[in-house]
Amino acid sequence: MSRNFTPEETLIDQLFLDDTDAFEELYHRYSYPLYAYCAGKLDSPADAKQIVRDVFIALWEKRHSLPVGFSLSLYLYKEVRKALVNCINEKLETEKDLTRIQTRIIPGFAMINLQKARQPVRKSYSEMRYLQLLAKNNQSKTPWWNQAPAGITVKDIKQVLQKAFNLL
Amino acid sequence: MTTKTLHRKTNRYLSGAAMPAEARQIETWLSCTEQHKSVVPETEKEKIEQEILEEVRAFTAYPLFFPKAEPWWKKFTAIF
Repeated sequence: MSRNFTPEETLIDQLFLDDTDAFEELYHRYSYPLYAYCAGKLDSPADAKQIVRDVFIALWEKRHSLPVGFSLSLYLYKEVRKALVNCINEKLETEKDLTRIQTRIIPGFAMINLQKARQPVRKSYSEMRYLQLLAKNNQSKTPWWNQAPAGITVKDIKQVLQKAFNLL
Repeated sequence: MTTKTLHRKTNRYLSGAAMPAEARQIETWLSCTEQHKSVVPETEKEKIEQEILEEVRAFTAYPLFFPKAEPWWKKFTAIF
């Protein structure tokens, strides 16, 4: 949950100066969505917490070497995706939670489930309503170039233009 | 798919030796977020956030090395 409206770029600049408030603000903006994503993928809140914790610890450690034009969301999701695959691989290696992997994770790799990711992103209800309103407003209003100014006809305009061309 | 097959795939993916189809399968799985949408109360979210933040603070110890500056009004009131 966001605590203030400071732009992300400013917070990243402040992070470079060891500003812990900026770090915590960034943490509050991203931590829960990342946690929900991991918990959904692994079906394990404990592993999800560990992944999010490690990603933010790494961010704090790397704060002095962040590149110019750094995209935090891109970085965080990239790291989380890597950590997710790593976590599953480690579990399979140590043969831990095999039943959970078999029943909860492997079905996600089925073709029917993967096809969902290839479908276009559905618009939210509010977005749909906004687009409908916009379309309705556009229908009711005719653009200015199609509106005939009061008292002036096409014939008048033709005559004025004819006179102008004659003068030229 | 069996756990063995998945293990082989994740292993190859992490070492960068996965076949294009395998990499695409894992990446598509990672991009699929449709099935995980559930409503969680705000208090629960804050609790989870706080728990993870406490762990991050404990690991990095940043509150110790970079303590928050006191606001001016606190310093001012301390004089009196």
